[in-house]
Amino acid sequence: MGERRLPFEGIRVCDFTWFAAGPIATKMLADHGAEVIKIESMTRFDRLRFVQPVPEDKAGNLNCGGFFNNFNSSKLSMVLNLTHPKAVEIATRLILTSDIVVENFSPRVMERLELTYERFVRLKPDLIWVDQPMQGLSGPHKYYAGYGALITPLGGLAHLTGFPHRPPIGTGTNYTDYVINCGHLFIAIVTALRHRHRTGRGQHIVMSQLESAVSVMETAILDYTVNGRAHFRDGNRLPYAAPHGAYRCKGEDRDCVYITAHGPTPGRKNDRWCVIAVFNDEEWRAFCRVIGDPPWTKDAKFATMLSRKENEEELDRLVEEWTRERSPEEVMLLMQQAGVPAGVVQDAEDMLVHDPHMRARGYYVYLDHPEAGHTAYDGIPFRLSTTPGQLRRPAPRMGEHTDFVCKEILGMSEEEINQCYVEGVFE
Amino acid sequence: MERRETALGDIRVLDLADEKGLYCTKILADLGADVIKIEKPGGDRARFIGPFYHDEPEPEKSLYWFQFNSNKRSITLNLETADGQEIVKKLVEKADIMVETFPPGHLDGMGLGYPVLRGINPSLILTSITPFGQTGPYKDFKASDIVGQAMGGIMYLAGFPEDPPNRLYGSQAYHMASVQAACGTLTALYIREMTGEGQHVDVSMQEAVSIAQETAMQTYDLRREIRRRTAVSGLAPAHPGMGTFECKDGYVNIFMLTGLWLILLDWMESEGMAGDIREKHREVLQKLDDLFFIFGLAMNREAYDRFLKEEYAPVDEHLKAFLKSHTKQELYDGAQQRRLQLSMVSTIEDLLENPQLEALGYFVHVEHPELGASLKYPGVPYHLSETPCRIRERAPLVGEHNFEIYERELGFSKEELILLKQGGVI
Repeated sequence: MGERRLPFEGIRVCDFTWFAAGPIATKMLADHGAEVIKIESMTRFDRLRFVQPVPEDKAGNLNCGGFFNNFNSSKLSMVLNLTHPKAVEIATRLILTSDIVVENFSPRVMERLELTYERFVRLKPDLIWVDQPMQGLSGPHKYYAGYGALITPLGGLAHLTGFPHRPPIGTGTNYTDYVINCGHLFIAIVTALRHRHRTGRGQHIVMSQLESAVSVMETAILDYTVNGRAHFRDGNRLPYAAPHGAYRCKGEDRDCVYITAHGPTPGRKNDRWCVIAVFNDEEWRAFCRVIGDPPWTKDAKFATMLSRKENEEELDRLVEEWTRERSPEEVMLLMQQAGVPAGVVQDAEDMLVHDPHMRARGYYVYLDHPEAGHTAYDGIPFRLSTTPGQLRRPAPRMGEHTDFVCKEILGMSEEEINQCYVEGVFE
Repeated sequence: MERRETALGDIRVLDLADEKGLYCTKILADLGADVIKIEKPGGDRARFIGPFYHDEPEPEKSLYWFQFNSNKRSITLNLETADGQEIVKKLVEKADIMVETFPPGHLDGMGLGYPVLRGINPSLILTSITPFGQTGPYKDFKASDIVGQAMGGIMYLAGFPEDPPNRLYGSQAYHMASVQAACGTLTALYIREMTGEGQHVDVSMQEAVSIAQETAMQTYDLRREIRRRTAVSGLAPAHPGMGTFECKDGYVNIFMLTGLWLILLDWMESEGMAGDIREKHREVLQKLDDLFFIFGLAMNREAYDRFLKEEYAPVDEHLKAFLKSHTKQELYDGAQQRRLQLSMVSTIEDLLENPQLEALGYFVHVEHPELGASLKYPGVPYHLSETPCRIRERAPLVGEHNFEIYERELGFSKEELILLKQGGVI
């Protein structure tokens, strides 16, 4: 093929999703060419719009939130007040011109609005209808409320993450939202698109966020069902590696602002760590060489993997004596040059600004947003050699494309559109 | 179920992936693709990762292997031999996708780089999953899961501020790299329908993880502030009634939003566990229900500590006693009936007993004839009405499909196979 095109050009997505797990999936479609129309209302707007971070001088501006904007690049935004019957009618028309419909409300909402697969499959058999409820469209907990903050503990990950003497506080983020649940959803959608291309038939995708979250519990479930062994959280350790953990390194000689549980807190940039992972004797010998073969490394307590595991606490202390004197970057580079897996525990500044590798690959993308300004976005997480995705536009301002969708896609007249404004359909 | 009833029943995948990519090819296999796992003679390294069936550490009993290789077929092949490389080329002729996790340049060194493979089969999609991608100054760095989590920025956000950052359980960097790789592979497969051409998909584990930093990157970009681990969700400022709490038989996670405190109070009172809160501390609850008060509090450490000590303490005491008097299941169900944001912190036992997962038929039994056992597995993450995704068969034995593929499909004679076996090729 002579000219490059984006993979999903010509595919229209009617997107009712909000928060993260849905919008990231539709962002991936949009960044690869799909025309994604995000539907919100002035009262039921995507709640991420008012969550921090917002630039200092833009407090309260719903178009400037970095959380929202990062997950909604390349999309169009339409405002529809779905409590108005005319709005439901417009949504219905839009659905009938779309290839894919995605929603992640509680099942109650779409049932009430009668926006369901069962109704639309009769009208448009090639439609791909995607529901991403918290816990499924059937079952005793179908209506249970929740979002990422609750799904991560409910799905089992929080119980197994962290140090054993600590309560199971989880991952520090609403983890499953950002790659696992949106990624699984994207996989299901693209699979259905290919099937439709080959057969002309649409289908109904249901991805419960709970099932998706439990699917990445590695061997914890099999070990329990097969061996009756209940895993417990074990910090940074692995049964078959030592040393294996995060070790404190030398801080930087400069000021910074950390966000603690109590908001922004000025301090020194001294919370710096490096991970080191030694899986076998060869890596152990290389590790010892790097730290200058101090006498303790010759001790029988650390001669074999078994003995290192047995004396792991002491080992970790000794490793840290060495790392404390060095920056995490220095530790990483010295270890990597010797073939020992190691990496800086990077904070967001390290990732966005300093990491020479991320910069060389140009992962983060800066886009000019009419209100938020020149701001950074996560780039494309998989690189296709001939049809790579691209962030085509910054996130849309709320309702930025309402007129466009009405006119160009639905063919509504100026008069009809104005009447809708008067009646509060676009609020 | 026949493969052709599935979404990818017509697709063949050559799986040369290690732990970083095993979940990617499992995703494709569970969607119906014919995934051929290429193992080194004697068995893939992942077979030696525990836990093991009945704690017997043998290559055919690794639960790690079982978990990530359902629905795949297996052949043994030594890629370091010239014969092995020729066989890969033969397999590539009829393959749609190859997934590999070698260090960048390693395939080229074996004469199996993307340009060569494309020459053999222009419609082949080659997906490469590596710690840091195919280009850039760190491309040759070694990394296990913990390095991916650290370099990708998510580990820094997990844990108590006074502890080292926490690695997330269950090789999440590998899972994320695999999920992103499956996304890229299927996108390439979709566009191939139109163009007939394959392409090379480059996945860096570090980049695959990045977006899971939640708001950390944007927080630095927009405000020059660095998010760090806070022992609660770092997303919202800390406020009373938020975080992980002990109950009778474990923990629950609570996110008390403003406007809900009186509902909680009603619940506690209905069980006689609210003491004198309503008469004496009503004002405190009103403050807790006031969004502006809570946000103001969160930004002022001194005011926060004073509020906790001087005003909130009695409420806190009763709330904790109330939680301690209930099981996590009682709290979870009771809170959901009242629309309070509370979930249990599930242990693995809890997941197996979760009535919702049971009702959805999430867990599935998979036959292992060699073990004389049917094992209970976690199921698949999504339901596709027309092209069901499911675990049909257990993971393959070492070289289980050598005969099927080498003799029946590639047409090697018995004599040739004996030679290849003696040469350490298969």
